[in-house]
Amino acid sequence: MIYLLNRSVSFAITLLLISVITFAVTNILPGDVAMMIMGTQSNPEALAGLRESLGLNDPLVTQYLRWIGGMLTGDWGTSLVFKEEIGPLLLQKMTASSLIVVMSMTIALTAAVPLGVWAAVHRDKWQDTASSTTALLGVSLPDFFWGIMLILLFARALGWLPSSGFVDPGEDFLRALKHAFLPSLALGLGLMAHLTRMTRATMTGILAQEFIRVARAKGLPERTVVWRYGLANAIGPVMTVAGLQVGYLFGSIIVMESLFNYTGMGWLTYQALLNRDIPLIQASVFVIAAVVMLANLIVDLAYVLVDPRIRLG
Amino acid sequence: MKGFLNAKGLIGIVLVSAVLLIAIFAPMIIPAEFATKMNMRARLDPPSLEYLFGTDQLGRNMFYRVMLGARTSLTIAVTAVAMSVAIGLPLGIISGYFGGLTDNVLMRLVDTLLSFPALLLALTISAVLGPNLQNTIIAIGIAFTPFLARIIRGEALRVTQMPYVEAARAAGTTDALIILRHILPNIMPPVIVQATISLAFAILAEAGLSFLGLGTQPPRASWGLMIQASRDYLDVAPWTALVPGAAVALTVLGLNMFGDVLRDVLDPRARAGG
Repeated sequence: MIYLLNRSVSFAITLLLISVITFAVTNILPGDVAMMIMGTQSNPEALAGLRESLGLNDPLVTQYLRWIGGMLTGDWGTSLVFKEEIGPLLLQKMTASSLIVVMSMTIALTAAVPLGVWAAVHRDKWQDTASSTTALLGVSLPDFFWGIMLILLFARALGWLPSSGFVDPGEDFLRALKHAFLPSLALGLGLMAHLTRMTRATMTGILAQEFIRVARAKGLPERTVVWRYGLANAIGPVMTVAGLQVGYLFGSIIVMESLFNYTGMGWLTYQALLNRDIPLIQASVFVIAAVVMLANLIVDLAYVLVDPRIRLG
Repeated sequence: MKGFLNAKGLIGIVLVSAVLLIAIFAPMIIPAEFATKMNMRARLDPPSLEYLFGTDQLGRNMFYRVMLGARTSLTIAVTAVAMSVAIGLPLGIISGYFGGLTDNVLMRLVDTLLSFPALLLALTISAVLGPNLQNTIIAIGIAFTPFLARIIRGEALRVTQMPYVEAARAAGTTDALIILRHILPNIMPPVIVQATISLAFAILAEAGLSFLGLGTQPPRASWGLMIQASRDYLDVAPWTALVPGAAVALTVLGLNMFGDVLRDVLDPRARAGG
């Protein structure tokens, strides 16, 4: 209980820090919202007037407090590019992106865990070399390059899957999955390579331990030793690493959603950055960082829940 | 040096030195106009003896462009990583060595920064400052700093707890001297390993930024930009994507392999699985 409370307080403080950093980074901009609304060629007096009415002449601290106050009371402002309220817009795009994030994580884990275990079991044999080399190749290719290759293969050459666009899962779930599949696969491949390396490293460490030798010595079948004894102990650390990769995924979706014209959070953030839509940039950056933070918190809590050896205060 | 003499180490060294040599010498050997000269009659020509890697949508020689792109990629990656080490080193050492409140505050800040995806941070900074070569370096450099600061802090903390540091303290050596004589030399091996691996990530980040138009700007040759330009011609000219993609992949692969082997040699403790 105390642990939970501790984590919640720490989470709140970090959220606050995230908001300060987001606000600071976006405020080193040479231009400002007034210029953005009226254009660079506008009349200086009108510009000054708009600045005054938007409160852009106030000290930064006042501006920050006004911004964070709005966020807390549910008034997230209006996007300059999309002319829409930011709150509902972000919610909709976040839903679209969660489909991709969840799918790519599933793809990566289903492939990486068996591959990593396989490599660890056959350590220093050809299976290990093959799996490790593939993984190393995987982490070395930029994920948008994977994306382009997948478009060429599955969309152009084979014509099996659409190469661009987004479909609302609420309208047509199957079509939504089809549209999300290629970007998810492209993201999943890079992630898989990374997780394979991690699984292999963790499993190698565990298989070298005493209790594994004992399990083997008492005549348990190798399959039970590896999967029941070994993997059961490796899954925690692997999940933690996977949780940390949620941050990496939310960075990569910016590239991937733009490549596939998948109108989710990454695409939205990119549009905001390209058009210097400051209110939208601030809100999206803040939301992404908060979601990443939250994902890590959930993984941590799940770890405590699953692993009975961890008993915290 | 024995640790380098395996397949991985040798491939890594060969790839890294090849890219390094190309980055240094290609711009001296290849006149800049070779890579920018357009030839409308030779647009999207497939690889041939005349055009080794084919031509792009403006009829420019891809071979020259890929060679010159090496300098852009490496310059940005090396400077950006140097920048994050330069900022991360003092922050990490102060945090790890002095501990206490300073450590708490600094690491809380670093942890918060780590919840921003590095690519998002770099893109935002680059968009905010205005994309060009210098700002791409600043953006990637800042985005990578929290990660390096965290690692350096961990190493500094480990060395600070060593008996020889305790002995130096007991003998009345000043903090500055302890940091200079004992902490710095002893944390350098893992820091060098991390910096090498970060170089690989920086190359990928630069390619990503340029691909989105928020990194290197045309007409400068950049691998990410070349891949971006290839998007509209994938069906007719797949080499326009494959050539720069392979350049990125080989460079990053080389750095990763070199980094792995460097870790085994310099930092045996961190060897995965012993």
